[in-house]
Amino acid sequence: MTDTTTDDHAAIEAQRRKAAVQARRLKTLDSIFELRAFIALGVLIVIFSLMSGSFLTTDNMITMTKHVAINAVLALGMLLVILKGGIDLSVGSSVGLSGVIAGELLKGVHIGSFVAYPQVWAVVILCMAMGTLVGLVNGFLVTRMNVAPFIATLGMMYVARGAALLISDGTTFPNLAGDPRTHNTGFGWIGSGRPLGLPVAVWIMIVLAAVVAVVLRSTPYGRWLYATGGNERAAELTGVPVQRVKMTVYMISGACAALSGIIIASELTSAAPQAGESFELNAIAAVVIGGAALTGGRGNVRGTLVGAFVIGFLADGLVIVGVSTFWQTFIKGAVIIVAVILDQSQQRFKKRGVAASAAAVTVEPAGDEPVRVASKA
Amino acid sequence: MSPLRAPAFRATATALFCALALSLSACSSSGSGSSDSADKPKPSGSHAKGSNLIAIITPSPDNPFFKAEEDAAKQKAESLGYQTSVASHDDDPNKQSELIDAAISRKAAAIILDNAGADASIGAVQKATDAGIPVFLIDREINKVGVAKAQIVSNNSQGAQIAGQAFVAAMKEKGNYVELTGKESDTNAGVRSKGYSDVISQYPGMKKVAQQTANWDQQEAFTKMETILQRNPNIQGVITGNDTMALGVVAALKSAHKTGVVVVGFDGSPDAVAQIKAGTMAATALQPAALGAQMAVTQADQFIKTGKTGQPEKQTIDCVLVNKQNADHFENFAQIS
Repeated sequence: MTDTTTDDHAAIEAQRRKAAVQARRLKTLDSIFELRAFIALGVLIVIFSLMSGSFLTTDNMITMTKHVAINAVLALGMLLVILKGGIDLSVGSSVGLSGVIAGELLKGVHIGSFVAYPQVWAVVILCMAMGTLVGLVNGFLVTRMNVAPFIATLGMMYVARGAALLISDGTTFPNLAGDPRTHNTGFGWIGSGRPLGLPVAVWIMIVLAAVVAVVLRSTPYGRWLYATGGNERAAELTGVPVQRVKMTVYMISGACAALSGIIIASELTSAAPQAGESFELNAIAAVVIGGAALTGGRGNVRGTLVGAFVIGFLADGLVIVGVSTFWQTFIKGAVIIVAVILDQSQQRFKKRGVAASAAAVTVEPAGDEPVRVASKA
Repeated sequence: MSPLRAPAFRATATALFCALALSLSACSSSGSGSSDSADKPKPSGSHAKGSNLIAIITPSPDNPFFKAEEDAAKQKAESLGYQTSVASHDDDPNKQSELIDAAISRKAAAIILDNAGADASIGAVQKATDAGIPVFLIDREINKVGVAKAQIVSNNSQGAQIAGQAFVAAMKEKGNYVELTGKESDTNAGVRSKGYSDVISQYPGMKKVAQQTANWDQQEAFTKMETILQRNPNIQGVITGNDTMALGVVAALKSAHKTGVVVVGFDGSPDAVAQIKAGTMAATALQPAALGAQMAVTQADQFIKTGKTGQPEKQTIDCVLVNKQNADHFENFAQIS
């Protein structure tokens, strides 16, 4: 009898220790998973630096970051939509539409016999308003007409592209430099200016990322967004203005797309109606590599930025090393798939980790270790 | 929202949307979509089929080249007294097949087609021919003879050679250069790249330091060129598979503050001709898009009237070199006197 009790105690003690060890191991694995995008980025930088001396130079880092910025701006907008549990396929077309609108405005707007030449800041605002409008229609379709986000934004993808083609009559606006006589010069600065040594596009990315991060972390809107994406019904019952949140994420995403379009048009000082084709997929890839769940409610700015850097550095690195385009496409696809597989495994580990910690805690608390595990879990 | 108002609101919104969609589609058909020009006199020798419709099918008019081609064919056909219908297949063989079906059901007198793929288009062309409608191919060939009545294409190989020669001459036969190629699945991308190599490889002083595809795209060419410049800042020339990519290269060189780099493209687009005039591009090989389309319509007219085109099936049109000396004589893919 006494022996049995001792045995039982010993068995329970052993089980408890095992559970605690397992919980700790899963915790370590979890943090490695958490950092996987950073690790991937580090690995990319090391590999490309070893393969080419011109990869790890300040100048190249700045150039690559400028390339990343275009996708990152789109991806930050996309992140909000994905956090909500939606998707925005129209952003690539909004990029093209925004450039075309800029081209049309800089050419001069005919109002009767009078021709108005909007200043560059006004052009930027009007383009972003156009992007917001595309987002508004997306949001309207999703919230009021109950169209699935995939379908609504797929439709708007064609509508916006068609609009860009109609406005431009299918041709490229060749010269967006403006004319000193009409006081609308300076559009090219957005693409080629370098205040404090960094391209304007990079500054835009930094500011936008900071703003989105603060909004997500410390405003009611951020909490509403995570709640809506996590469980829409529950969020609605607790008084979250779900419809308004859904509407605004599409509008923000549209505005971000327009901003991207402006950057591209400014870099090229020309605007093609077919610009931005398939950019939506790059933006989604960045968000997914950054660990966001397409089902909504999970993801953050840091991950999305790293995701955009992984995609951008991979693309530019492969060009610098001189790898053929076929391989570039292949490798990009493989990276996305691996990222998603890792994400799935992380979620499984997390569940097991929670279960293991729970096991460690529920077994009789003797000593301080289970408490520590419990407080960590 | 009250339960009574909700359906009413939804119905109104749906109605509004339908109206919007309708007005949009109306816009597109009066714009650049399919447009029929009725009320034209029938051509004198009109075929017994009862229709004098010429269907013009091209890839997307995004690219000014196809737009010029489409406009030239339409204009020529209407001047000969035909009705025209214009549509684009967006490089989608399936959509092309549907457009051919539509032309067959409308009993078109002829089809002018810039096809959606050398192999993928054979079936569609065969289908029209079987239905008794002659097909005249422009710009791109198909991999079968005896199906279409004519295949009129610009001589990409010859164009690449004259562009390559101009490139070598502008670089004074020596230096480091970069090549940006078109979409690798496109036959023309390969033919042009080979044409460039055939010429340039004869000059030992010319060294290719990087080759990448930029998928015919301006922004992709810009990004790739910026990245290539990081690895190879010391380059004297860039040759590209089309003018759109050449324009991206020009923008990238400008953003890197590099001057004196020789840029040569292909197509002869109005934007490239403007760059040549400005001195930022050295040359381009102009494909006479309008001429090919006009030839096809003339031969279609001939065939409708006499049952013969009077020409061999495969015809090529030579490209013309545009450089600073003669840039003033070119406009919209055609030479103006």
